[in-house]
Amino acid sequence: MNVIETNELGKRYGKTWALRDCALALPAGHLAALVGPNGAGKSTLMNMMVGLTVPTEGTATVLGGRPAGSPAALDGVAFVAQDAPVYRNLSSADMLHLTANLNHRFDPSFAKARLADLGIPLKKKAGKLSGGQQAQLALTLALARKPQLLILDEPLASLDPIARQDFLSAVLTAMADDGVSVLLSSHQVAELERVADYLIVLSRAQLQVAGEVDDLLAGHRVLTGPAAEAEEYATRLTVVQARRGGTQAHLLARTSGAADPVPPGWESHPVSLEELVMAYLRSPGVSEPTALARLRRATPTEATR
Amino acid sequence: MSMLTLPAQPGQDTAPRPLPWRRMAWVTWRQQRATLISVPAVLAAVAVFLVIFGLKVHHDYAALVKCSLVGSVQNESNACQQLFSHFNSTDWPLGNTCAILMALAPVLIGAFAGAPLLARELETGTYRYAWTQGLGRERQAIAKLALVGVTLAVVAGAFGELFAWFFQPFLYTEQMNVLTDGVFSNRGLVFPAFTLLAFAIGAFLGMLLRRIIPAMAATLGLYLVVRLVAWGVRKYYPVAVVTSNAKIFGEFGTPRLPGYPWILSTWVTGPGGQPVSQPVAIQVENQTAMAPGASVPPGYTEWTRWIPLSHYWPMQFIEAGWLLVLSVALFAATVSLVRRRAA
Amino acid sequence: MTIDKGNSAIEFRLDPDSGVPTYLQLVQQVEHALRLGYLKPGDQLPKVRDVVAALTINPNTVLKAYRELEHKGLAAGRPGQGTFIQATLEQVTLPELAGLRRTLLGWLSSAEAAGLDEDGIVALFTSGLRDFFKTSTSKGSGSVADRAGAAGVAGRARAAENGAEGVA
Repeated sequence: MNVIETNELGKRYGKTWALRDCALALPAGHLAALVGPNGAGKSTLMNMMVGLTVPTEGTATVLGGRPAGSPAALDGVAFVAQDAPVYRNLSSADMLHLTANLNHRFDPSFAKARLADLGIPLKKKAGKLSGGQQAQLALTLALARKPQLLILDEPLASLDPIARQDFLSAVLTAMADDGVSVLLSSHQVAELERVADYLIVLSRAQLQVAGEVDDLLAGHRVLTGPAAEAEEYATRLTVVQARRGGTQAHLLARTSGAADPVPPGWESHPVSLEELVMAYLRSPGVSEPTALARLRRATPTEATR
Repeated sequence: MSMLTLPAQPGQDTAPRPLPWRRMAWVTWRQQRATLISVPAVLAAVAVFLVIFGLKVHHDYAALVKCSLVGSVQNESNACQQLFSHFNSTDWPLGNTCAILMALAPVLIGAFAGAPLLARELETGTYRYAWTQGLGRERQAIAKLALVGVTLAVVAGAFGELFAWFFQPFLYTEQMNVLTDGVFSNRGLVFPAFTLLAFAIGAFLGMLLRRIIPAMAATLGLYLVVRLVAWGVRKYYPVAVVTSNAKIFGEFGTPRLPGYPWILSTWVTGPGGQPVSQPVAIQVENQTAMAPGASVPPGYTEWTRWIPLSHYWPMQFIEAGWLLVLSVALFAATVSLVRRRAA
Repeated sequence: MTIDKGNSAIEFRLDPDSGVPTYLQLVQQVEHALRLGYLKPGDQLPKVRDVVAALTINPNTVLKAYRELEHKGLAAGRPGQGTFIQATLEQVTLPELAGLRRTLLGWLSSAEAAGLDEDGIVALFTSGLRDFFKTSTSKGSGSVADRAGAAGVAGRARAAENGAEGVA
C-alpha cells in the first residue's frame, strides 16, 4: 500500500505556484524525510495531504487511495503542524479528553503513560509548557490516535538537541511498535540521516528526487578524476553536480553500479545523504523520478473513495 | 521493501461511522467554556439588578396607581404630584437607559459569542489541530453553532421576559404599548431571535473575515441594519385589521394591554363606498375629532387600518420567524465557508 | 561490556562518524560478539524496539541488519518472540587477539619510522585492506574498506578499530 500517492499535484496562490507537478508514491513502513529550503513547498504539500489546503491541480490520496482530507483519510492520518499548535488555555488532561472525543480511535492510557514518562504535568495549562514539552504533547496526542500515517511539519525546528532526540526517539519507537509510517519535513537533512529511510527533496516548488535512501545512495557515486577528462565523461553519465579545481574534478553522478564501470584513472566514492541532497538542491532541473515514482507506484491501486 | 507489518485494524476501509453528538457536546463545552459561562453569568448579574430595581419600580408605580394619577381621574394633591415627579426623575431615566441597553444586548451578546466562535481557531492557528482530527471540521462547526446558539437563545428568552416584567409600569406612565419598537423587540420571541441572529451574523463574519475584532465591528453594523429593516417592515405584517371608527375606540386604554393600538392609516369614504377627496376627508375627520363619540355625517364612514394590541403574539411570531430563517441561512452559509475554506 | 537488557546479552553502540553504514555496524558488532564468545547460539538479539529506542535509528535499519545476519546464517527470527543466534563464528581467542594487536603495533612503529604520518598510514592500510579482501576468499565483503573510503580520514582509523572492538 502506498501511504501517500500524488499525481501532478500543484497549488497556486495568485500567480505563484507553491508546488507544481508533484508525483509521489510513498510506500508504507518508512520514515520519509521531506527536505528542501524554506519556501520550497514542503508545508504546502503537507497541508494538502491532510486536507487543510485544496490542490489547484492534480490529486492527492493517502492510505491506499483515500482522498486526502476525506473523513476516511482524517481517521487514519495524524498531523502535527509547525510549532505544534495546542489550545493554550486548556490543560494537558483537557487536550487528551478533547482529542479522545474528536476521534474514533484513541488510547488514553498510552497518552497518560507517555506524558508521565516525559514529566509533563497533566493539570498545567498547555500555554505554560516549554516549547519542547508542547511538541511532545502534540506528538503524544497524535500517536495516541494510533494512526497509520504520521505527518510532522518541521517538528524539530524550535527544539534543543535533547528535545530533538527525545522527539525522534518517540517517533521511531512508534514505528517499531505499531508500524506507523512517517512523513517528516525539515530544512536540515543532517539531523535526519540516521532516521530516514526514504527521501523526498523539494526545491523551488518542484520535486527534485524521491526514493528509498539505500537505493539513492547505491545509485549515486562521486567520481574523482582529471579535470581534463571531466567534460567527456560528464556527457556520458547523468551528472547531478560537477565541481572542478585546477587539475581535479568531482562528478556526482547517477550510476547503475556494474553497468557503469569506473573510467580508468578515476576513483569512485560513495555519496553521503547530505551530499546527495545538497547536490540536488543546488542543481535544480536534474529532477529524476517523476517518471521513476510513477514506476514505483504500488500495483494494484485500491479503489478511490 | 520494509518488513514492518501493519497491525490489523478492523474496519479501516469503510468510511468511519459518525461520532455521537454527546462527544461533540463535551468538546464544544470545553472549547467554548468561557463564553458559555460568562454570558449567562453576566446576564444573571444584570438579572439580579433588574429584579431589585424592578421591585422598586413596581412599588413606586403601585403607589402612583393608588393616587390615581394614571387613568382618567386626575388627583391634584401635592403628595401625588411628588410621587409622580419622583417617578419621572429617578425610575424613568434608569428604566429608559436599561431599555436602550436592552436594545443593544443582542448584538453585544451575539458579537461576543459569535465572532470568536470560529475566527479564534483561525487567528491562533489551532485550526491546524482541530481540522485534522477524525471528527471533521463541518461537524465541529455545526455542533458549536447549534449548542452555543440554543443556549444563547434560551437564556436570552428568559432574560427578555424578565425585562418585560421590569418595564411593564413604564408602558402605562410613558404612554407606550407592546407594539412600540423599543418595547416589542425587547421581549417575547423577538428578543431571543435577535440575539440568535446577532450570534449568527457574528459567527458568519468571523469565518468570512477570519479576524475577531473586525468581525465584531461588522456584526454591530449589520445588526443595526437589520433592526432598522425590522422597524420598517413591521407595519406590513399581515395582521392589520380595517374597521370603521366606532370600533377603534373600544381598544383604547384597556387595563390588560396598556397604550393605544397602532394606527397605520385612516381614510374616509362617502356614500356608496367611494373614497372622498382630501378636503372633504379632512372636514369629516375634524368633525369627529372635535367631539369624540360624535356621529359621523350620514353616508360618510371613517376607516382605520390598525393593528390591535391583541395581535401582539402573531406579530412576535412573524418577526421571530423571519429572523430565525435569516439566522439559519447564515448558519448554513457559515458551515459552507468552513467546508470550502482552505488554510 | 555486556549489560543485561531484558533477555539480550549484548547492547549496541553506534559510531556516527565512522562512515560505515549503521546496519553494517550492527552486523559487525554481532559478529564480533560471536567471535569473542559474548554471544552463543540460542541467545536472543536485542528487540528491534529496544535498539530503536536506545540508538534513535530507523527500525528498518535494525531489521536490515537482522536480515543480513539471517542471510549469513548466523541468526534466525522466531515469529512473535524475536531474533535468535543460531550459529557460531570461528572464535578468535583473546590471547590470539592480543598477539595480533602486538604485531600491529610493531608494524605501526615501522611505518612511523619510515616517515608516514597518521593520514599516510591510514591511506596505506585502507588500500591494502581493500585489495586483500577483494582478492582473497576470506569472509570479508570488502564493503568496510570501500565505504570507509568516503569518510573522513579520522573515520578510517576508527573503522579499522571498530573491526576489532565492536563490543566494548
